[in-house]
Parts: sequence; structure tokens; C-alpha cells
Amino acid sequence: MTEQQMAFYVDLAACSGCKACQIACKDKNDLDVGIMWRRVVEYVGGDWTRSGDAWVSTVYAYSVTVSCLHCEDAPCATACPSSALVKRDDGVVLIDESRCIGCRYCEWSCPYGALQFDGDTGKMTKCDFCADYLDEGKDPACVASCPMRAMDYGPLDELRERYGDLAEVAPLPDPSISRPAVVFGPHPDSRAGASTSGRIGNLEEV
Amino acid sequence: MGLHDWSLIIFTILGQMSVGVFLILGVIHTVAIRRHAVEEVERLTDRALLAIGPVLVLGFIASLGHLGSPVNAYLSILNVADSWLSREILFGALFAVSGAVFALMQWRKVGPFALRRVVALVAAALGIAFIVSMALVYMLPLQPSWNLWATPVTFLVTSLLTGTLAIGVAFVASYAYERKRDGEDSAALAALLYDSLRGLVIAAVVLVGAQLVTIPLQVAILSGGETAAAVDSAARLTSDYGIMFALRLALAFIGAAIFGLFVYRSTLGQASQRVVGGLVGGAFGLVLVGEVLGRYLFYAANVPIGV
Ligand code: SF4
Ligand code: SF4
Repeated sequence: MTEQQMAFYVDLAACSGCKACQIACKDKNDLDVGIMWRRVVEYVGGDWTRSGDAWVSTVYAYSVTVSCLHCEDAPCATACPSSALVKRDDGVVLIDESRCIGCRYCEWSCPYGALQFDGDTGKMTKCDFCADYLDEGKDPACVASCPMRAMDYGPLDELRERYGDLAEVAPLPDPSISRPAVVFGPHPDSRAGASTSGRIGNLEEV
Repeated sequence: MGLHDWSLIIFTILGQMSVGVFLILGVIHTVAIRRHAVEEVERLTDRALLAIGPVLVLGFIASLGHLGSPVNAYLSILNVADSWLSREILFGALFAVSGAVFALMQWRKVGPFALRRVVALVAAALGIAFIVSMALVYMLPLQPSWNLWATPVTFLVTSLLTGTLAIGVAFVASYAYERKRDGEDSAALAALLYDSLRGLVIAAVVLVGAQLVTIPLQVAILSGGETAAAVDSAARLTSDYGIMFALRLALAFIGAAIFGLFVYRSTLGQASQRVVGGLVGGAFGLVLVGEVLGRYLFYAANVPIGV
């Protein structure tokens, strides 16, 4: 029996961009400097425009926390020549580092920059949805750490019932490419994926 | 660009050149034996055929340089069912093996002519599959400047163009070797050499023409692309890397067309073999440098979609 696809939920309106999830992930997985399985991307845009004697602001900013989204189509797993990337029954995409040849081909196929190469071991690394915690019935470290309670996780169908089915948010690419297992709660200013009105504000951090 | 990318540049170009040499040698062999004695033709082609092996092996060795864990390289054909990278390696290996079998049979004249032909055709088909799968490795939805029909076209043109001129060099060298061994000029062999060189440079001019159409078209398609990444990729080619981009086109043109013209003329006149050899070598060198620059840009100018 195939279990249900596990997925993340992020309430973009509630997220304050504090990056606690990113740090909790690094801590739980003991990740080296430069390797980030979860990254908080700031999307910023807008301007001040003059209207009569007044200056009106259209400036906006919001944060999107992104990790491996355990895509239903997982193009990384299709690309990997040594089948080191595998999708578990519950949809979680795991890497078997003993099979990885370090060709980095999966990196070119992942829309979310989820694959993070470890130069020391010569292996690719990635978010495992805290599979060990899941198996123990505990929450993933990122979800548990969020002070705004902006994150949730669970079977994709359930999340969609509860929160809707928004998966297309700038600056993330078109979800039809990989069918990511994610649901976003919209931010008042969040734009659709193809939007070019803004830019990533913290490129050097992600 | 790190070692990682250079290893891919070397691997893709040497792999493509190997296939190109193999394919074009087959064409030359087929055409030339209609007008020249088979033994004479093979005095030139057999040695060129044997040179493919080391070039291809060098390419595969270079490809290991982009692996983080090269000791695991043998695992890379496990996902033939899904991964174009696995298929590329599989077809590359099969081309190498079948090509080596053919080269051995041809060198030792093992088996009847017809059988050798069949083996050569199989190897040629595998070589083409190698190049096509190599192109499909790069045709990924998130890589706008790779995900174009221009990728297989340029890979094929690179293959045939570098192959054509490499054969020219190999023929000149084979001829010089044969002449030294015989201690005298062979009029028949010289005629064959010059005939082949003329055919080769005509092919090179046509191929460079194809390239000079494909590349600007590719840039035009990219700059009209829907995603910001596509537009950025085009802009990087023409502005950030503008000088290298122009140089790459110029070298291909000068190498294949201008040097080619001189080769053509000198084989008609009474130019010495030294002059002809120098011109052929120059054409090959310029085109090869142009191709290396082109492949460098292929990797360096691409801007991926995504975060
Ligand atoms: S987010 Fe990237 S690494 Fe994760 S499943 Fe999708 S393609 Fe693979
Ligand atoms: S880097 Fe490793 S996981 Fe990624 S495609 Fe290559 S072998 Fe597979």
C-alpha cells in the first residue's frame, strides 16, 4: 500500500522572515557552513510613485522558506544516473550517499536549489524531511522551531483540504515543472511565480 | 569556472570529436574507394581510425574530473531507465567498445570487408546515439540556454567540424609517415591526400556556415524568451562574455573558411606538403580553440531558472 505524499505548508502572511527554521535545520542536521537544506528567500519589489503632491509607496517584501519540496515528479530522481535519489512510499525524497557519484546532475534538475553539494565528502546532500523524526512521530525540526507557527506538514491532500492549493509564488518557478509537495498560504503582497516585478533581496544569503 | 566545468568542456569536445572522426572517416572511405585503390585509401584512413581510441579515452578520463566521488563512477549507468546521463555514458561506452572492435578488425584486416562494414555501421549508430544523449542531458526545463534544439545541432556540428579537420591533420601526418617509410613520393597517395583535403575543407565550410546560422538564432530565441533567466542568459553571452563570444565566432570562421580556402587552393597548385600541412594544422587549431571557447560559454553563460 502506498502511503500518502508528505508535504509542507507555509503561511506566508504569518512568516516574519526570522530564519529560525533555517537555523533549526542546520542544527538538527549538523550542516557545515555553506550547506543549507532550508533557506529563507526574501522577495522584494515596488517603488515610490508620485501622485499629485504625495508620494505613494508600492514597496513590498515577503519571505518564502524553501527546502526540498519532495516533489511528486522528483526530476532530481529521474536525472540521477546512479539512482542515489529515491522517493519513499510516503513521498519523502531521500539520498543514498553511498551511491552518489557527485556528478551534481541533480542540481541542474531541481527547481528549488534543494540539492547542496558537500565539497568535503564529494557527495550531494539534501533535506530528508527529518525522516527519523517522522518515523518517531515527531515534527520536523523546521516546523517545530517556527515562533510564528507559520509552518505545518502532513499528507498533501489533507493540507490542501485545510489550506487550499497555492503552490505558485514568486520567486519560485512554475510548479508544473516538478509538482512540489507544498501548500502556501498567500501573503497580501505575494506574487505569482512568473512575476518579474520584484527580485530576491538576500541573494548572498541563499 | 572551476576544474569541474573544464572537465566537462574537455569531455564533451573530445567525445564529440571522436564520433565525428569516426563518421567522416566512414564517408571518406566509402567515397574514396570508388576512385582510388582500397589499399591506398587505407594507408591514410587506418592510422586516423586508430587515433580515435586514445582521444575518446582521454575524454572519459577528463569526465571523471567533474565527479565528487569518482570511485563510484561505475554506478553511473544504473539509471538507464530514466536518466539521460546514464544513457550518455552507456552509449559512449558502447561506441568505444564497438569502435575498438572495428578498428582492430580493420587494422588486422580480420573478417570479410562486408562484415567490417556492418561493425562500422553499428559503431557509427552508437556514436550518434552518444551525441544525441549527450545533448539530451542538457535539455532540462530549468536551463533555458541549453533547453533548445540548438543544443543537439551545435553538438553535432562540433562533432563533424572538429572531426573533419582532425582527419585532415591525421591524413597529412599519415602521408608524411608513409613517404618517409617508402623513401619517395607516391603520386597516387598524394593525389588521394589532396582530393580528400579538398573534400574535407568544403565540408568544414558548410559546417561553419550551419554554425554561424545556429548560434545567432539561439541568442535571438533566448533574448525573446519568457523567463528572466532566458533573457539573462542571452545578455550574458552578448555583453558579459561579448568579446569571447565574438572571438569564438571569428575563430570558427577564420579557421574553417579562410584557412580552408587556402588549403583548397594550395592542393590545386604546386604547394609543398609542408605548406599544405601547416595550413590544415592551422585550420584545425583555430577551429578547436573556437569550439573550446564556445563550450566554455555554453556552461558559463547559462542562467538557471529557480532559487
Ligand atoms: S525539491 Fe528538488 S531535490 Fe526536492 S524532490 Fe524536488 S527536485 Fe528533488
Ligand atoms: S550528484 Fe549524486 S545524487 Fe546528484 S545526480 Fe549525481 S549521483 Fe545522483
